[in-house]
Amino acid sequence: MQTIGLIFNGVWSHYAMATAPKYRAIYKLIYIYDLDVAAIEGLEALVIPFQSNQAELVARKSVIYNFLSQGKKVFVEGDSTADWLDAQWEDRPVNNYWWVDNPDNPPVSETNYDHPVYRGLTPRQACWHTHGVYTRIPDYADIVQSTPEGEVISWETNRYGGTLFATTLDPIVEHGVQQISHLDHYVDRLTEWLSGIKPAPGKMTIEKDLYGEGALV
Amino acid sequence: MLNALIISNNIVGLTDYYVSNDLVTYTIAHVSGHFNPDLTPYDVLVVPNGSDHIAMLRIKDKVRAFLDEGKAVICSDGWFTSWVPGNQWVMDNTKRTMDTRYFLKTDAYKLLADVDIDELIYSHGMTGWWACGYIDAAPGADVVVEDTWQRPIVVLDEVSTAGILFLTASGPLADVTHAGEKEVALVKLYRNFMRMLVSRNELISR
Repeated sequence: MQTIGLIFNGVWSHYAMATAPKYRAIYKLIYIYDLDVAAIEGLEALVIPFQSNQAELVARKSVIYNFLSQGKKVFVEGDSTADWLDAQWEDRPVNNYWWVDNPDNPPVSETNYDHPVYRGLTPRQACWHTHGVYTRIPDYADIVQSTPEGEVISWETNRYGGTLFATTLDPIVEHGVQQISHLDHYVDRLTEWLSGIKPAPGKMTIEKDLYGEGALV
Repeated sequence: MLNALIISNNIVGLTDYYVSNDLVTYTIAHVSGHFNPDLTPYDVLVVPNGSDHIAMLRIKDKVRAFLDEGKAVICSDGWFTSWVPGNQWVMDNTKRTMDTRYFLKTDAYKLLADVDIDELIYSHGMTGWWACGYIDAAPGADVVVEDTWQRPIVVLDEVSTAGILFLTASGPLADVTHAGEKEVALVKLYRNFMRMLVSRNELISR
């Protein structure tokens, strides 16, 4: 049963992840322009991935917060704007190769491994790279991951009724891209936390027939 | 001078990578819920990495008509919907990125002139960083670059329409040097295609 709504704006990596056999029964693709109360009725969680259309999210802010007020979960990855999230995201250079060039200095130095998404993950599975930082987060939000400089990478708050989790990691996009081979660990933990459903073990696969005329759109 | 229309999905940073210069004048078309841009003033349509392929599918017929007027489309993204005439991008993760290499195949227009293909293969010694999946290329189209498994990665198609399609298997291209970035391989490849278009348009107008 599809219980996680993945808000997407026609970007291929979102599509590749959500339509993979491993995740297809759990994630429902919702085109950003179709996001309204009816489209997400009955879902347990929303995922707002990196490379989202921030202006369109602002226009639908009330739908997202109404969903949260019902005690549900929203996961935000990558960048965001303060126009819909009570936090300040700032861009920073992306370091894809810290583990090659400087493996003793990862972009994230502190992680709360007691958080259900991170429980059982190794440091490499918990951070591959980051897309910017949060320089301000909501009052009383919990910091889940931070940099050696003390800047916030991941945070969580329950102040809106449900649970809002934001991170500058990009697990959904990168799992769709499939250039990082260990992301099944993070995304499977995330999926189980959001939906209560544990994806089938093993590596994500792709179905060729869902590209082109057979696309699920 | 070319007039290019860039399809923007309003994602962070995109428009910083395309700055008008002495070769190309850029106009941005922001995708919306009722996306229906006027393509007629332009020579080339640029569909960059991170584009909305639902929106592109909805203007599929308009893109086809644009090409049939002899104009050009660049798509350097993974078009999972069927809006590109004759060619289909397909995501695939059955091959190991550590085994990925690229090879020049058919390059009638010298699009890889001065392009160090190793820059597309390696980044910090790692391979498989540039493209994703492969292209099911139209019969008769030029496969400019193929990968280790002879799968099309860069395609130039002058046979599917009266125009010209320049496609990568989601390998980013950009015009970033005018935004202060280095002229790396993906910039040179992009600019070589743009220069080819200028020469082609000059020939047509004579």
